[in-house]
Amino acid sequence: MRRWVFIVLLVLVMATPLHADFRDLFQRQFIDKPWGGAPIVREGVCVDCHTSKIMNPDYLKIPQEWKMSIHYKNKVSCHDCHGGDPNDAAVSCGTPHSGFIGTPKYREVPELCGRCHVGILKNYLTSGHGKALKTTGKGPNCVTCHGAHNTQKASIDIINDVRCTKCHSYERARIMKQALFSTEKKISELDSIMTSMRKSGALVEDLEKRLFRTTAEFRTIFHTVDVNLVKAKTDEYLNKLGLIEKDLLSLVNEYKFRRNFSAFLLVLFTALGIITYIRQKF
Amino acid sequence: MFERIYNWIDCRIGLTELIRKEFKEYYVPRDVSLWSTLGFVTLVGFLIQAITGIFLLTYYVPHPDHAFASILKIMNRVPYGWLFRTMHIVGANLLMIVLFLHIIFVFYRAGYKKPRELNWLTGAVLFVVILLFCITGYLLPWSQLSYWSTTIMTAIPTIIPGVGDYISRFIKGGEYVTGITLTRFFAFHVAFLPFILIVIAALHVFFIWRTGFSSLYDDPEICKKVVIYTGRPQYKDGKPFYPDFFNKYMLMMFVYLIAMFFIITFNPDMFLSEYAYVQADPLSTPLMIRPPWYFLAPYAMIRVIPNKFLGISIQLILLVLFLVWPFLDTGDEKNIRKRPILLGLFSVAIITWVVLTFLGRF
Repeated sequence: MRRWVFIVLLVLVMATPLHADFRDLFQRQFIDKPWGGAPIVREGVCVDCHTSKIMNPDYLKIPQEWKMSIHYKNKVSCHDCHGGDPNDAAVSCGTPHSGFIGTPKYREVPELCGRCHVGILKNYLTSGHGKALKTTGKGPNCVTCHGAHNTQKASIDIINDVRCTKCHSYERARIMKQALFSTEKKISELDSIMTSMRKSGALVEDLEKRLFRTTAEFRTIFHTVDVNLVKAKTDEYLNKLGLIEKDLLSLVNEYKFRRNFSAFLLVLFTALGIITYIRQKF
Repeated sequence: MFERIYNWIDCRIGLTELIRKEFKEYYVPRDVSLWSTLGFVTLVGFLIQAITGIFLLTYYVPHPDHAFASILKIMNRVPYGWLFRTMHIVGANLLMIVLFLHIIFVFYRAGYKKPRELNWLTGAVLFVVILLFCITGYLLPWSQLSYWSTTIMTAIPTIIPGVGDYISRFIKGGEYVTGITLTRFFAFHVAFLPFILIVIAALHVFFIWRTGFSSLYDDPEICKKVVIYTGRPQYKDGKPFYPDFFNKYMLMMFVYLIAMFFIITFNPDMFLSEYAYVQADPLSTPLMIRPPWYFLAPYAMIRVIPNKFLGISIQLILLVLFLVWPFLDTGDEKNIRKRPILLGLFSVAIITWVVLTFLGRF
């Protein structure tokens, strides 16, 4: 009898914590926090409205395009560019004091993007592109080359005869593309190796940050659309990329060592296995 | 020096006598083969998991904010951390392969028949415990792969009417896989399950020691006419455990290690997907996420059978059948080749399992 009482009590004691009030505390501290570690991409009311029937059909594709963009991948949400409050539709879209921008005017697009891409804005404004926009209101702005919502990771392929010949001949653009080629090729190679290493569990975060910074600096210079400046800076950036490559190769060599070490153990156990087999046979 | 130490121990506990009696003078049946060593290989595999696991435990941080980072540090910063972790991952999968082969062989050789019912029962429970090890361990890296696989697996119990939601919530500690799930699984993986496993494994080994190796030539009258324990069966026409069978053990242990290091050398990420090194993101579901290969068959079965409750019921019935099989199949005939119906069912079960595993990949 005493044993059964003890067992029942034990079960009750073990079951009680599962329903105790402290689970509410856990609920707040554990469940409601974005435990993925990265900040949540806040869709909020923007996506709700932009996918609803009341929305202008021209704007219905925006959320879908945004979800395919580099901004979405980097957790940049609607209100980060357009302002407003993603938790309240009335405040978000209805009142100017909420900082809601909506669709910016064509001339104002560079300032909108330049709130984050500061260095690029500075160089763009000194470039032929920027000056044309400011003086005539017709020069290319950011979305002319990069798109508005489905913004993709920039690459050298953005410079092409279809896009550039909308405004001028391709000749100048072609020379610029050639000037960029060697540096962009190296960036692409390093990026590809880092992606592959990351998939194998290599800690390439610091190297990726260095590559990102170097790439961003180099592409900032490109936005001056000054071929001579790009050519003059190419060696400097190739040297910077060379240093990153050196560190990356030491990581690649570490992986080669791992493989060799594992192969050594494989050979060792194979030899021991063969010896055991021979002993067993004879 | 060593001789003096050995003699010091020997005169106190009779080591020489124990080795002579239990190893040199114990003859295993003549029909044992390399397949009979798979239980030992499983034990070796589990010891490797325990040793590498303890190493990982010294660096792993069981918190959602730090778990993934600690795994990356083990792989990159801790000296030879990559080796221990890769051995742990590859070892877990190889252990499952060996375990499946061990169960198949024991069933094929009717090693569950009297007087070995308890061997089977403890072994079957061990199998379930090792599956629980796999489930709980899979979440610990807190990667996209582990997070979403666990989300799928912990959603399966919700199929059960009435209590399904409760069971799923109980496992996860809430509606979703969260920090609570991680700490819960961690506690199970490193504290609760090892304790259970050691106790049941000790019982399993004890039963094997008392009943001896299974053989087709076992006396069918054991525990039938003679109802008292008559000692471990002796096979004077067999081979001595040491050195003959012991060498087989060693050979298979090396085969296991060779397989492990072959995979680590040539394809260390064989059992992982590209999402294994992406931190868990509850808001981003990866494409083509699925449970580990050893859970693909039950996963596919639930997907294939339209009625989900029927699917889970069949699985529960199969699990119960698996556990209590020795108490259902109590006939004297041990040779499965003389039992065409059982042989047919056994073959169909294995083929179905392979097909479902294949289907589960898509």
